[in-house]
Amino acid sequence: MRVVIAEDLALLREGLVALLRENDIEVVAQVHDGPGLLRAISGHQPDLAIVDVRLPPTFSDEGLQAAIEARRRQPELGVLVLSQYVETAYASELIGENTAGIGYLLKERVGDVRAFLDALHRVAAGGTVIDRQVVTQLLAPREGAGDALGDLTAREREVLALMAEGRSNAAIAESLFVSAGAVEKHITNIFAKLALPACGDDHRRVLAVLAYLQAAH
Amino acid sequence: MSEHARLPVDLSLTPGAPPRRWMPALAAGLSIGEYARSLERRLALLAAVIVLAVWALAGQGYFWPAWVWLGVGVLVLLDFAAGWAWRRPPGAVRRVACVWALVAVAAVILVFTWLLTWLLAGAHSFWPAWALFGLASAGSAYSLIALQDRVLVARGRRALRARIDLLTHTRRQAVDAQAVELRRIERDLHDGAQARLVALTLQLGRAELRAHDQPEVRALIQEAQREAHHAIAELRDLARGIVPPLLADRGLVAAVESLAARYGLGTAIEADTRRSLAPAVESAAYFVIAEALTNAAKHARARRTWVLLSDERRALRVCVGDDGCGGADAEGSGLAGLRARVEALDGRLAVRSPPGSGTLVEAIIPCA
Repeated sequence: MRVVIAEDLALLREGLVALLRENDIEVVAQVHDGPGLLRAISGHQPDLAIVDVRLPPTFSDEGLQAAIEARRRQPELGVLVLSQYVETAYASELIGENTAGIGYLLKERVGDVRAFLDALHRVAAGGTVIDRQVVTQLLAPREGAGDALGDLTAREREVLALMAEGRSNAAIAESLFVSAGAVEKHITNIFAKLALPACGDDHRRVLAVLAYLQAAH
Repeated sequence: MSEHARLPVDLSLTPGAPPRRWMPALAAGLSIGEYARSLERRLALLAAVIVLAVWALAGQGYFWPAWVWLGVGVLVLLDFAAGWAWRRPPGAVRRVACVWALVAVAAVILVFTWLLTWLLAGAHSFWPAWALFGLASAGSAYSLIALQDRVLVARGRRALRARIDLLTHTRRQAVDAQAVELRRIERDLHDGAQARLVALTLQLGRAELRAHDQPEVRALIQEAQREAHHAIAELRDLARGIVPPLLADRGLVAAVESLAARYGLGTAIEADTRRSLAPAVESAAYFVIAEALTNAAKHARARRTWVLLSDERRALRVCVGDDGCGGADAEGSGLAGLRARVEALDGRLAVRSPPGSGTLVEAIIPCA
């Protein structure tokens, strides 16, 4: 897998490069701003770009705009956007029309190295990975709201959030310290409560959940 | 304010009663006082001419009519001076005017008398000089003492006004500077401390991978990582409380849209503003909307909410309404805090929340 990294903080950029190299992922370019990212992508034709939302010179959402532009130019490119904070508006802009190969994670998820590498591979392979915080944020004000989402139990909310990260049943079970069977039961309940069509595919499952959450607004 | 606006020049124009006109002689529209004065002047002129004629017919000689002129003239002059003094505003100014009127009359008598004695009895020195000097000094001294308070008050008032202008200006500057500073802190927290902590968790993660065969070391690293995660989350909450990142990055409308989407209240947003807003105004408007929507979602059980942003003359108008149960306490801590925030910008915040018929929060925030 060939990767481009766009991150302005040298310490983090170098840490990421070291991590990826240790795990046999080729880092073909490291840049520190939006225009640099676009140049690197057209020059190196990577499989995946890891992009920080806030980049110089504006330090607002330069990275996100560059990532969206990069996807417009090269639709098969996987893009994993890292952000210091979760903003559902950014997630939906990033997902846009083309849902394949999109990731939106909080920056600190890089600390959980295995899950992070797993997410990289899934995005590069065309999967969708959405930070569990996005789901939490979408669900937060609905507690006691009396609609279908309000009916979810606390455990079901946790499972829903992990599903949005595109995790498999086994990974969700491991993360919550429960059996795979228990996770399957929760998922069945969630899909029943939200009246979603059941599907086994992790990727399609994420999209179904997100579509539901967005439509609920 | 002009003098005429304060003083009833025409005394007959008392409210509620039509102006009293007197005799056809008043066809020109003169009041009683004015008519009396014009009559008096004519009589004085007539008297002066009659004595002149009597003197001329009686064989001339010593020019005694001058003394009659002086007497009549002093009467007219006194009346004129009294009228002039009476038209001053009451209080110290009128008293000073009365004093100067008397001084003027006395001066005229002195000078006229000197003129007559000079003309009638031959040249001699200008004897009224010292008397005139004394009168002028006394008048000036009285004026200074009587008007001292007024001069001081006027100067104090000007100084106060200048001070208020300065304080208003510097307070706005301070609030603006504070808002800019808060955004810098938010940015520094996200891009400085928080980013370094993220780099730290990454290094810890790498260390954990390498220590896979040493369970004790792994447990220590995982503990350190949990702490780092807590620190990151706390920093993020702190930064969000200072200023929501979307507001800093994309401005008010985007931040409000995101907020509304998060509450899922079906909020209708109408933003009719083309101003570029100062950070302080933007933050105040955002927190007004955030508090109002939070109340609508949490307490009012509203089904529909709406937000309206519009440009007023030199101000931003923010309206947030809902169809909830109303009865919000405008003096409650949340709304009182918002009021303080808006008032620090010389703005106004109004809350209408009759029980059972929704809540309307309206803020007018001046923009420089």
